[in-house]
Amino acid sequence: MTLLRTFRAGPPPLKVILLPDGVFFTRTITIAQGSTALDVNAQVELALETLSPFPPAQLYHGFYWPPGAEFALVFAAYRRRFTNEQLEGWESAELVMPTFAALLGGDIRSETTLIIPSAEGLTALYFAQSPVPTKVVFRAMQPDAIDADWTRAREQLATAVPTNRAVVVNAPPVAIAAPNDREIAFQAEAFTSRLPLTVSAALDVRDKDALAGLRRARNRDLALWRGFLALVALLFLLAAGEFLLLAAAGWSRTRLTQITAQRPVVERIMLAQSVTTRINELSTKRLLPFEMILQVMGPKPESVTFLRASTVGLYGLNVEAESTSPAAPSAYQAALSALPAVEKVEVRDQRARDNLLTFTLAVTFRPEIIKPGTPQ
Amino acid sequence: MSALKRFFLSRLLREKLMLVLFVALVAIVWLVNFSSRTSRSWLEYRTTRNELAQQKQWLASRESIENSAVQAVKNLDPAQTLDDTRLVGELQTLARDLNLKFLNDAPQTERTANFAVHTVQVTIPRGEWEVLYNFYVAVARRSPYIGITQFSLAADRSNRQLLNASLRISSVEIVR
Repeated sequence: MTLLRTFRAGPPPLKVILLPDGVFFTRTITIAQGSTALDVNAQVELALETLSPFPPAQLYHGFYWPPGAEFALVFAAYRRRFTNEQLEGWESAELVMPTFAALLGGDIRSETTLIIPSAEGLTALYFAQSPVPTKVVFRAMQPDAIDADWTRAREQLATAVPTNRAVVVNAPPVAIAAPNDREIAFQAEAFTSRLPLTVSAALDVRDKDALAGLRRARNRDLALWRGFLALVALLFLLAAGEFLLLAAAGWSRTRLTQITAQRPVVERIMLAQSVTTRINELSTKRLLPFEMILQVMGPKPESVTFLRASTVGLYGLNVEAESTSPAAPSAYQAALSALPAVEKVEVRDQRARDNLLTFTLAVTFRPEIIKPGTPQ
Repeated sequence: MSALKRFFLSRLLREKLMLVLFVALVAIVWLVNFSSRTSRSWLEYRTTRNELAQQKQWLASRESIENSAVQAVKNLDPAQTLDDTRLVGELQTLARDLNLKFLNDAPQTERTANFAVHTVQVTIPRGEWEVLYNFYVAVARRSPYIGITQFSLAADRSNRQLLNASLRISSVEIVR
């Protein structure tokens, strides 16, 4: 039932850990035209080495760069600012990034200020030109701050760039179920943000080596998933095949019934054919055994004695004979072959015993050559 | 599908492997069983198809076979045709006239609605060549009502001057 409930509930949102914005310092850097994602990665690493007082290895960092954008927003935090308790759960998370980064995939026009609240304070994203913010400002709030303090802080952040249109959300972003597997979605009140996986991967601030390991594991899991899907598809195909087999069995039964119903009629026709053939043979094709034996006896050498003669079909005669002369069978075969009525002669089963050679002559006569006569 | 994917991906690696192995095992067992049944079904299909095609051919040639049968007996006088009893009786008479011993098996009959062909296996032991020949001529005279369909002649072991003849003889009977 738990499994069923899981499926009924639909896909759950991905596990995303949103970190406090206050621990991150942010910079917008210019990206060389025509840069690939790999180039941007190198440019960000270089910028971090220049901008940060700490080496990149001691930072949790990420960046936001939609493909083709002129700028990238780089954010980084000193690793020691995170306690072990805060690091718990990072391994199993799909994505770990600053809270403000969740809303970077929203529909934000140029010259807009987006103000996002969190438990620690307010974060303002200033967009001079969409889609990469020019500046990110965090205003920390006291735990005992009242609504008026929050309102005042919002106004101050909004008026910091007076030309911008301010968009204020009153709730921090939360991950929601994305419409497809290629995106991660967030919502803050009515404001929604959809980040493609290709972009969100760069937002992840975790250690890059660990991240690569996680990606490898994810690829392995995806391969297993695809294998699983292929097998399930095979099961569906087999199920469809079962239906086809069932239909074929029904059809076959109909055909067998038809065959059974027709069989007596067909057997009667076959019998009629067989009987007709027999009658025709009796009337028109007579077996002439004596005439054939007499033909064979004509050139018989004196040394050859017949033991048995039997007809084979209408025009064949097998003669079993014996002779005291070893040369007799071949000489006899040659003599028989010369007869005009004989089509073919074969000598078979030659056996010698006590100076006596036994053999079989298989003689085939030409059809209709021998006529019924008085061969006395 | 997304829910299933999430469910699958959220399992532990060993659970994923077990799921895949289990489904693979089911698929293999089913596939093997299915292919053997498919092959049987295909064989049955081919057999019934061939049999139906043959039956169709026979049914299509029914009229021509019936016409051939009518043609085959057109020149036969129904009064001279022989049933199995008359066939054996006739052969016994011919043999008795020539002082030949005569042994016969039970006649076999192929019968249609209008005609019958009776066949009997006859053995004539220890006959002389001329006498056997005369028997043969006497049978041949009854053609086409009686015909020899198989003939065999062997020298007698005790006296090579005598011959043992074995004949399969058929007769036509017009039933009506």
